[in-house]
This record gives sequence, C-alpha cells and structure tokens, in this order.
Amino acid sequence: MFLALHEVKKEKLRYGLVMGVILLIAYLIFILSALAQGLASQNTAAVNSWQSQSVLLSKDANGNLAQSMLTKEEMPKVSSTKQDQVGLAQGILKAGDARQSATFIGLANNSQIQKQTKLVQGRWLQNDTELVLSDQLKQQGFKLNQKVTMGLSNQTFTVVGFAKNALYNMSPVAYGSLNAWPAVKGVNSEFAGSGIVSQGKLRTDNDNLQVLSKKELFNKMPGYAAQNQTFLFMIAFLIVISIVIVAIFLYILTMQKLENLAVLRAQGIPSSYLIQNTLSQTVLIMVVSVGLGTLLSALTGLVIPKAVPMSFDPVLMTGTAVVLVLTGIIGAVIPMRIIAKIDPVSVIGG
Amino acid sequence: MQRLELKNVNKVFGSGTNRVQALSQVNFEAKAGELTLILGPSGSGKSTLLTILGGLQQPTSGEVLINGNRFDGKRGKAADDFRLKHIGFVLQSYSLVPYLTVAEQFQLVDKVKKAGNLPPKQFDNDLNRLGITSLLDKYPGELSGGQSQRVAIARALYANPDFILADEPTAALDSARVQEVGRLLKDIAEKEEKAVVVVTHDLRLKEEADRIYQLVDGKISLEKS
Repeated sequence: MFLALHEVKKEKLRYGLVMGVILLIAYLIFILSALAQGLASQNTAAVNSWQSQSVLLSKDANGNLAQSMLTKEEMPKVSSTKQDQVGLAQGILKAGDARQSATFIGLANNSQIQKQTKLVQGRWLQNDTELVLSDQLKQQGFKLNQKVTMGLSNQTFTVVGFAKNALYNMSPVAYGSLNAWPAVKGVNSEFAGSGIVSQGKLRTDNDNLQVLSKKELFNKMPGYAAQNQTFLFMIAFLIVISIVIVAIFLYILTMQKLENLAVLRAQGIPSSYLIQNTLSQTVLIMVVSVGLGTLLSALTGLVIPKAVPMSFDPVLMTGTAVVLVLTGIIGAVIPMRIIAKIDPVSVIGG
Repeated sequence: MQRLELKNVNKVFGSGTNRVQALSQVNFEAKAGELTLILGPSGSGKSTLLTILGGLQQPTSGEVLINGNRFDGKRGKAADDFRLKHIGFVLQSYSLVPYLTVAEQFQLVDKVKKAGNLPPKQFDNDLNRLGITSLLDKYPGELSGGQSQRVAIARALYANPDFILADEPTAALDSARVQEVGRLLKDIAEKEEKAVVVVTHDLRLKEEADRIYQLVDGKISLEKS
C-alpha cells in the first residue's frame, strides 16, 4: 500500500481523472439500478406487500391476472386463512375532471391482503361503495372523502384511505369490495372474480385454471420481463465497460512505470510486493470512486422528483458496489501479470 | 572479508547463426574495501557481466562465488532475497521512484527489508557525507543529475549491502560531478568496507580505482590490481 498511496498522492490529476471516470460509471450503474428497481416496483409493489407466493387464475388469461375472469362455479372456495379471492379490473378512476388509469382490486371483507396492506392515511373500506387508493394517487391530488367513479361502474365511490406500496403493473391500485368488481369490470354477476392469491402454494385440478408462482406472475405482466432485461443488459454492459476501462487505465499506468518497476525488481524488491501494491491501488481507486458514486447517487435520490420511479435499495446498492470493486480487481489482472514478468535485466546497460 | 568472484564464466545468447558469445572465460574478483572498475566500449559485455554478478541472470557456464560459496544457482525469490540483503544497485537512469520523496525512497527499503538496514546515526552520517540531508523532502524530478545519483548511492547504502554494483553511474554527469561521484564510491569502499564494482566506459574514474579490468568482446583482462 506504501507505493500505491504515495503514487496516488503525487499523481493527483492522473488518478483523479481515472477515479472521475469510474465514479461516473458507478453513478450511472446506480441510477440505472435504482430506475430498474423503481420501475419493477411499480409492477410488483402491491403483490409483494401482500406476502403472496402463488396465484390461481384462468388459463385463458395468459398469465395476466387482470384479464382473468372466473365464474362462480369455476372460482374455488378459499381453503385457508392465507388465501384471498380477488377481482382485478384495469380502468379509469374519475373525480370531476381528474382522470387516472388505475387497477381496481376487489377483496372480500377481512381479507389477508387487507391485513398486509399498510395505510398512510384514513381507514380501510367498510362497504361496497368505499375505496382505498394508492398513496401515489394522493400525491396526484386525490383526497379523503372525495367522490370518484371507477372503470365501467356507474357507482359513485368514496375515498376512505390511502395505502402504501399499492402499485400493480405500472398503475396505482384502488382497493374496493369484491362485490363491486363485476360492475367495475363490466361483466355480469355470474363472474366471481379474477382468481385466488395465496401466501402459500396453490393447486388446482381444473384444466381451465392455472397456478403461477409470484415470479411467473410478474414475468407474465405485459412489458415487465422486457423492461427488466433491458435494464439488466445495460447494467451488465456498463460493468463490462468498467472492467475494460480499469484494465486500460492500469495497463497504461503500468507500462509508463515499467522501467521504474524493473529497477525495483533489480534491487531485490519482490514482484509479489509490487503486485500487492498494484492490487491495493486498484482497490483504493475503486473503493473511493464507487464510494463517491454511491454518495452522489444518494444525493440524487434526495433531489429527484417523486414522479421519477427510482428506488434506492441499500442492499442492492451495496451489492452493486461490491461487484464494481471486484470488476476493478479483474481489470487489474493484466497489469499484475505484466509486473510478474518484468525482467530487471532490461534496465541495466544498453 | 567480503569477496565476489567469477570463475571461467561464459555467457551465450541465441543459437545457430544467431549465437552471440557475450562473455568468454571470464575470471573476476572484487573485494571489500576496494573500488573495482570494469572498463570497456559499448557492446563489450559489461552489462551482462554486471547482471551476472548481481544474480539477475545466470551464466551459461562457470561459477559465481560470494565468499567462496556458489551464488549462480539462486533463482526467483531466493535470488530476490539475496539481492535485497547483500547487493546494492546504482543504475544509470530511472534509479529513483519518481513519486517518492528522497526520505520515502529509504522508507521503501524499510518496507521490504525489515531488518539489517543502517542504524539511524550511521545513516545520518552517510546523508551528510553525500550532501543530501537538505534534499529529503524533494522528489526526484526536483533534483539535478548529480543529486539524483548521490541519492541512488545513499539508497543502495541504506540497505547495508556487502556489495555495491554500479552501472555507468557517471553517464549523465559533468566532469566535476564525475570526480565527486568517483571519490564518493572510493570513500564508501574504504570507509564502509564494501566491495564496490563500477561498470563504465568513463576513463575519468580510473584514478580512483583500486582494481581495473578491461572487457573487450567478452574477454576480460586485469589492467590494475
């Protein structure tokens, strides 16, 4: 570390530029990760907040719970306290001139989902004409006791509460009564709901129904998998680019001081010491750059408008930071190999 | 008394039509307390000889002896360790680490060689004798050629080696500085009981030398002993 620290201290501009580039890459990766996480959360927040593990729905719905409709005959009875019948309908929430796309989720009284959902304001609905809206709708101007209409129903609902993490497939959720669902969906009362959500594993013997795990349900959501894979590829490419940049920088820096390193080797300084210093230098550069990148990302998170769906998950950020430091070490492999092969004879005579 | 010897050393590079005999039946001796000069024109094999003396490369045949013991078999870490403890190199260029101050050049030696370096009092005397005490906070880029070479000598001395091997130490110096460095190396050999070997084509160093070898086309001859 002795050589590493002194070199960075002496060559502030050179190493400042290297660190600046890595900081910007780290910042970009953190922002993209936060965006990916935030956008994914807009699809999954509600289902995740329910602690559900599997869902049962119509096979014809192609895995899309909001498109699933089960008749009263098809809808299995709820067999445990960990299961809820749900009715989903995507439609327009109207309040005067205000209009907002939303997903209506109809629930029975005393459902598990109700118990798992945290309210940020108001209370849970007590009858078929009340709604609990996503807190995102609160930020968009919806208020308690406001009269609204939802989907194809002519019923006027009253907003009685706002719930945290109530987002499903990129739209805010309006929790209501399962009895109100047919009207909101625009189907007759022969239909009982969209399916069953369970905190455990579901099974079915009915060929017209299918059971999906939570992960399968998310991946079947329109655009969800494509969006996540796009972000994943962008992040993966950035990580690969960061490896290449670190490798190129360290290669150039090592080549520039090759003769000097050869002199040190001639004087008996072991190559292991010089390699160790290069490794320490890489870790130092990466930790400082990624650390500053993390700080910058956190500051960005504080000032970014709430409408931007960014979610800074400390665990994900720490994991990404560790991956970036490890990529730096991978990038240092070529320079370390060069140092290991330095021939001290090359600097003597000519 | 420390003694560095070569016995019937040959060094051959390449093979077939590319075969070059860099050293031919070289017999050589350097003793503690003496400044030994190896003179010769460019391409005569001086540097090859120095690298074999310092254990940086192996002879094709013959023996390298330190105090009568074979040294030419040492390779890798053992050779590194031996060089660090017993041999100090003073090189023509790139001799100092550019991003370390003069004081830090010595600290680097402490980092890799934890014991056996010069005690502070003795080292302070050396710094005074070399006239570099006021340069301790300076970087190599802020030193003149003569100052750099004196710092390089001080660094070699700091590890307290038995042998100091210098490669063209006066190449970048003017006449006044050549005399100064010559006297300094002679002084180190005599007062600190080191065997100092200088490879050079600078004839101005001859008057300071105790022993002079001439090396021409890989063949060595003793000119002064």
